[in-house]
Amino acid sequence: MATRSRYLNTLFAGYALIAPPLIILVLLIFYPAGQAIVRTVMTDQEVGIAAGLTLDRYFNFFADPIARSNLWFTIWVTVVTTALLFLVCFPLSLYLRFSSSRIAGIVQVLALFPLFVPGVILAFALIRYLGPRGTVDTFLRIVFNYTGFVTPYLKPSGIIFALVWDHIPFTVLVLTAGLRQVEDSVIEAARDVGASGLRVFFQIVLPLIQRPLLIVFCLNMIGIFGSFTIPYLLGPAAPQMMGVYMQQTFTDYLDRSGAETQAVLSFLICSVIGALYVRTVTRRRGERA
Amino acid sequence: MPTLDLINLRKQFGSVTNPVVAVNDLNINVADGEFLCILGPSGCGKSTALRMVAGFEEPSGGDVQIDQQSIINMPPNKRPTAMVFQKYTLWPHMKVYDNIAFGLKLRHLPKNQIDQEVQASLELVGLGRYGDRYPAQLSGGEQQRVAIARALVLKPKILLLDEPFSNLDALLRVRLREELRQIQRNLKITAVFVTHDQEEALSLADRIAVMSKGELQQLDKPATIYARPKTLFVADFIGAMNMLDGEVNGGVVKVGNQRLPSPAECVAAPAKIAIRPEDVIVTQTGEGAWHGRITQVSDLGHYRKVFVQSPDLGMLKLYLPKSIEINDGEMITFKPTRFLIFQGPLPPFEVKL
Ligand SMILES: Nc1ncnc2c1ncn2[C@@H]1O[C@H](COP(=O)(O)OP(=O)(O)OP(=O)(O)O)[C@@H](O)[C@H]1O
Ligand SMILES: [Mg+2]
Repeated sequence: MATRSRYLNTLFAGYALIAPPLIILVLLIFYPAGQAIVRTVMTDQEVGIAAGLTLDRYFNFFADPIARSNLWFTIWVTVVTTALLFLVCFPLSLYLRFSSSRIAGIVQVLALFPLFVPGVILAFALIRYLGPRGTVDTFLRIVFNYTGFVTPYLKPSGIIFALVWDHIPFTVLVLTAGLRQVEDSVIEAARDVGASGLRVFFQIVLPLIQRPLLIVFCLNMIGIFGSFTIPYLLGPAAPQMMGVYMQQTFTDYLDRSGAETQAVLSFLICSVIGALYVRTVTRRRGERA
Repeated sequence: MPTLDLINLRKQFGSVTNPVVAVNDLNINVADGEFLCILGPSGCGKSTALRMVAGFEEPSGGDVQIDQQSIINMPPNKRPTAMVFQKYTLWPHMKVYDNIAFGLKLRHLPKNQIDQEVQASLELVGLGRYGDRYPAQLSGGEQQRVAIARALVLKPKILLLDEPFSNLDALLRVRLREELRQIQRNLKITAVFVTHDQEEALSLADRIAVMSKGELQQLDKPATIYARPKTLFVADFIGAMNMLDGEVNGGVVKVGNQRLPSPAECVAAPAKIAIRPEDVIVTQTGEGAWHGRITQVSDLGHYRKVFVQSPDLGMLKLYLPKSIEINDGEMITFKPTRFLIFQGPLPPFEVKL
């Protein structure tokens, strides 16, 4: 009996500890989110007619060429940015993990620097740097008398450039942490039995960092898909990324249910990636601890 | 047929201004089929030496030769050596079978031959039915056996082992090293085994290379290392030894208040006298003998370990036969039957009485 009541006590203490954040989570996020989702599939309330289920709002969204192009644009930017992030960060992380030179320390500081720069400041800095008559433009004009510089400002490339910059630190952090989990002797053992560097990378290192790899992949995708500040300040007027589009629909067109529909759609897309993430982090290592 | 030679091998870490010499001018020759142990305290450069043979460290100088052919310019994946590491040796994402088959697959052997050889090598280490497990499903000892199987399956010319059993408990360590030795004998493979455990080295090795601070101290058979240590370091490091201060003068060496004979070749100078605990007898007379009070007696089966506090010499450790009646707190008189005289860096003189 005594052990049982002690068990119940610890159980209760556990729930008591997580109760406040859980209540806040439910009241401020899940409840309104659920309400919004429900509202997007209900017909408008009219006098005398009961509310019914409808998917009209979603049909309307996909019927609208602007909405469609914004959605595709967002997906495209997300995929391209994520791919570029891996291209930039993988070599960087490999270098940081396997180099013993002193320059590695400096590279690490540089790679992590964007972590301490808020997105707004980054956006304005890039405008000053890469914008028309910005630092790069002026430099090319004065030093090389080159006037052909095309600024990425207000173009998709501007968004992608800034988003990549913004997400480098997180990506590098997770990847290097993952790579550090791979022991030297594990790699040396593979070299020892005859594997070349490339083979070691593909058959030993990559499989062993699968988990951190999937985690950065998912979190980057979700973060980039839902980004707002950078596309708002640096992106073109059309097409827009979903974050910007939603904001405009909501405050400029005062179309609350339209914005809600866009939000639910974005949420659904991200939750597919979210599911992959949850599966990755919760997967029992099972046969391989 | 495979022999291994380390020739003036040298490794320096650190910067030019602050160099750390991990291995200094190391000369070791390993004969075909020999089991050689590299023994030394932590940080003496054992692993560094072995890793230069395997190709994971680039020597700062000297040469490594297998069958008189330099391998120094070969990357590790091209060298005819196979290494067993201390820990984290298996690839956690591969089953035991795939761990062992990995190197064979790289050599593009046919599938059925790979199957056969993997199975044979698993049986060699007594894990015939473990092929389907993941490393995490094996005990530490089983993992090291798989690591040995993985190294042996490639039929390397030289097997290198860097403290492969030091993470295991004492009993298992003894069992595995004996199994390893048996396998090595049967296969007649040339092996270099690094350890900091002198008992391990003494019981396993054909010859032992004792290292200290990056330098080779002595390379000899275990019995020779024990009986005739060449340097003070080896004398002190291997086995128990009583180290006493002495003064050589005209055919005698004065140790404490007693005079012991010394060879004519000894120069008149201070010397270190090394006496093994078992090279002492208890006597009745005070002639050429010291006396001291017994402070501790422990029974070690067939003999007794006795600590004696001598007013002349300080604390000494003696191994005495059980036939002698001794008790804590008693005074005894004792003298050496055999000792070594060390003077400077020269090999010692042995004196038998
Ligand atoms: N990569 C390295 N960079 C700098 N110094 C190193 C490096 N590897 C080893 N050393 C130094 O070289 C010396 C010898 O190291 P080594 O690992 O060979 O010792 P060891 O004899 O194997 O010791 P242990 O029994 O603890 O494994 C040590 O002083 C160590 O600090
Ligand atoms: Mg070592």
